[in-house]
Amino acid sequence: MTSLETVSKLGATSIVDFPEPPTRVASAANDIIEGWRQNWLWVRLAHQDMRLRYRGSLLGPFWQTITTVVLILSMGFIYAKLFHVQLYDYLPLLSIGLVMWGFVAGLITEGCGTFDAVRGIIQQVKLPLSLHSYRLVYRNFLILAHSIVIVPIVLLLFPHRVEWLGLLGVVPVLLLVAINGVAISLLLGMVCARFRDVPPVVGSIVQVVFFVTPIVWPPSALGSNRWWAVLNPLYTPIDLIRSPLLGMPESPHSWSILVLVTLFNCAVSFMFFSRFRARVAFWV
Amino acid sequence: MSFVCLKHVSVEFPIYQGSSRSLKKVLLAHSSRGNLARDARDRINVRALNDVSFDLHSGDRFALVGPNGAGKTTLLKVLAGVFEPTRGQILSSGRVTSLLDTGVGLNPDATGHENIILRGMYMGIHPRQMATHAPAIAEFTELNDYLDMPVRTYSAGMMIRLAFAISTYIPPDILIMDEWLTAGDARFLAKAQQRIEEFVRHSSILVLASHSMQLVEEWCSHGLLLDHGRALAIGPIGEVLAAYRDLIAGESEQELAPSMAAV
Repeated sequence: MTSLETVSKLGATSIVDFPEPPTRVASAANDIIEGWRQNWLWVRLAHQDMRLRYRGSLLGPFWQTITTVVLILSMGFIYAKLFHVQLYDYLPLLSIGLVMWGFVAGLITEGCGTFDAVRGIIQQVKLPLSLHSYRLVYRNFLILAHSIVIVPIVLLLFPHRVEWLGLLGVVPVLLLVAINGVAISLLLGMVCARFRDVPPVVGSIVQVVFFVTPIVWPPSALGSNRWWAVLNPLYTPIDLIRSPLLGMPESPHSWSILVLVTLFNCAVSFMFFSRFRARVAFWV
Repeated sequence: MSFVCLKHVSVEFPIYQGSSRSLKKVLLAHSSRGNLARDARDRINVRALNDVSFDLHSGDRFALVGPNGAGKTTLLKVLAGVFEPTRGQILSSGRVTSLLDTGVGLNPDATGHENIILRGMYMGIHPRQMATHAPAIAEFTELNDYLDMPVRTYSAGMMIRLAFAISTYIPPDILIMDEWLTAGDARFLAKAQQRIEEFVRHSSILVLASHSMQLVEEWCSHGLLLDHGRALAIGPIGEVLAAYRDLIAGESEQELAPSMAAV
């Protein structure tokens, strides 16, 4: 191989001065900001996801809504009997619970594919990785926008005294869920890109959590043990939206738990993202 | 004025396969010794690029040549910003467009027309702006009615036309292409070459990786010979290709030598 001489070493006489490379933390923060700035892109991509997902189906995204309605009706009648509660009280509780849970669970399970689902793009185009998270969270908000129509209908059929003051919390709750969604989808997206056996595990956990969270049953059904259901972080967004709509008091801890969990998720997710952001392109 | 500068760029990445892709096995391997531990180390570290440095300036037409597995595609991905160097630095100025794969940002379920807009978005071009260019892009592809069909029904050649037409409609400052482009038919290749020459004349940079010496000689002025991630030769295309021929000749001699001895 000695016959092969380097014809010229252009690198030795570089025309530019290389700046100090940014730190990992700076790169990660920059990725998150830059991804947000390109909101015109992920908003459109999410809308296109919806269009393509339901292409050729008559009802489009409302299929999901109808599935939820069927679930609510079939569960509503049976479980109201099982729990010995009035259908009048139970159906609204179940409807709001299932709609909100569908949203939260969707964020978690789809979060496993944040990067894997768009590996073609990650491998070809330089884009902030956070953009894929924003797209995913926004898409799930679009899905929620379709299934949420159930709630006013049920509340019109079974009117309850609405706590209007508590309802003001809906916007900050959804905002906190969105922030959590971005944090979780970045974290799970990375873990699942690296370890292929994690998505089914996450799926199973979500399934279990569905049963231990007061979604299809009221927390009051636990009697004196209700505290452990109420401390469940995944219950807090459901509680904070459902209780005011049904004229019930929210759990006193829901706000603080939701805020603390959000801070925790953001911190953990950012730490992992700083450390492994540059690796994702190799993993997917 | 666009440029690309690489300084001592190395890219190393572990190839995960088998049980190292499994969290369970990796966790078990940490808690126990023995066979399981070996399983979890199903990990091969690949140094795909090793200390590569060069500068490219406006108007350069740069070829990457080398045998399979030399690191050409990895280098293209570094230039495209998809891979970050694990060591060394890259600095570039100018809008980078990369054509690494025929499927680049094309959605197989969307039609050709929709993909023009979609691919444009991934390139950072607003759909409204892209819509004004769409007719000209459609014309360049010569795909006519096929553009109303989902892209998954396209042949490889048609996909190439579409991807190339979209990516190069707005002249990039730095165009990065992998060798798949050469899979297009002769007429399309001539058309593509004409377009590339046009914007290289307007001081863009072209980086092309290819096995085809003929194509590279025709399209490029300078080149880099890669082998096992190392830069063996860099300079005018003629000299680099001569070095490449030496490399191939040297390797086949080495291969022949033992068999000759056996005879």
